[in-house]
Amino acid sequence: MFDLSKLSDGEVVEITRTKDKEVYAEVVRRYQEKLMRYAKYLVNDDARAADVVQDAFIKAFVNLNSFDTKRQFSSWIYRIVHNEAINLINKYKKEQPLLEDINFDSGINIEEEYSKKEIIKMVKDCLEEIPLLYREPLGLYFLEEKTYVEISDILRIPTNTVGTRISRAKLVMRKKCQLKKINQN
Amino acid sequence: MSTKKNQSKLAEKIMSQVKSGQITMKPRWYFVIGSLLLFGGVVALSVGAVFLVNLTVFSLRSHGPMASWRLQLMLESFPWWAPALAATGVILGVNLLKKYDFSYKKNFKLIIISFVLAVLATGFMLDKLGLNDYWQRRGRMRQIYQHLDVGSSYVRPRRRFNF
Repeated sequence: MFDLSKLSDGEVVEITRTKDKEVYAEVVRRYQEKLMRYAKYLVNDDARAADVVQDAFIKAFVNLNSFDTKRQFSSWIYRIVHNEAINLINKYKKEQPLLEDINFDSGINIEEEYSKKEIIKMVKDCLEEIPLLYREPLGLYFLEEKTYVEISDILRIPTNTVGTRISRAKLVMRKKCQLKKINQN
Repeated sequence: MSTKKNQSKLAEKIMSQVKSGQITMKPRWYFVIGSLLLFGGVVALSVGAVFLVNLTVFSLRSHGPMASWRLQLMLESFPWWAPALAATGVILGVNLLKKYDFSYKKNFKLIIISFVLAVLATGFMLDKLGLNDYWQRRGRMRQIYQHLDVGSSYVRPRRRFNF
C-alpha cells in the first residue's frame, strides 16, 4: 500500500497514528540501531541500553499523538531515550559523576592538531572515559552527526551551551585519551 | 551477527505489544487538555501572584505614616501568607514555564527575571491605580481588605479610582 522507505519520519508517524499502528515497525526499524548506540554510550552497558531503547520505543508509541509533525522526529525520540537513560542512571547511581573536577586548558584548539577522522576515532576509543555531561553532546555531534540545534533540542539546553560543552569535551577527551594510551603502554 | 539478532528480538517484542493492544496510544484530546491546563496554570499562578503582591503592598501602606513606631503591631497583624503564597505562585509558574520549548531556546534567566519583575510591577501598579481602595469599599473583596486593615488607626485619604 505505502512504500514506507520513501516516506519521511513525519509521514510514517502520521500513518501510524491515523491509519495503521503496525506501521510503527518502520519507526523501530529506522531508529533501533542509532538509539542502541546512543543509549550504550549513555549507560555503558548493552543489556541496560536495550532496556532503555525498548522503554523509549514504548513511551514514544504511547505518546505519539503529542508529537508535532512540524518538528524533527529524530530529536523527539532521542530526547525520550535521553530521559529514560538518565532515569536509569539515577536509579542505579553506579554511573561515574556527571562532572569531574577538570581544568580546561585555554588556547588549545584540538581541531588544529587532529583531523576530523582522528577526532572521531578518539571519540570512539575514549568516550567511556569522559564524564556523562560531556560524553553525551560529544557522541551526538561526532558519532550521530547531529547539528548543534538538534543537540539543543535533545538535551533541552541553549545552542551556546552545546558549543561550550563540545569544545570542553574535546579537551577532556584529549587528556583522557592520552592517559589511556600511557596506561596501555 | 548476535547484535542483529538482539535488535530483531527487540523489534519483535515492541511490535507484539503494539499488535496485541498491550500498549495503546493516548488520544489527542489528552494532550490538548494537558496543554490547556499548563497554559491555564501559568496564567492562574501569575494572576494569583500579582494579586498577592498587590495585597502585600496594600497591607504595608495601610499602616500609614510613623509606621516604624508601630512595627510590633505591624509584624503581628501583617498577612505573611500573602507574600509567601505570591512567592510560591511565582516558583510554580517558573517551573511550568520550563515545560515550554522557549525555556531553553531563549535566555531562561532573563525570562525568569522578566516574569518576576512583571509580577511585582503589576502588583505595585494595581495598588497605585487605586484598585485596592476601590476593593476595600466595594465588591466581594471588601471583607478581606477590611480584615487586613484592622489595627490601623490611620485614615488614608480617598484615592480616585483611575480605571
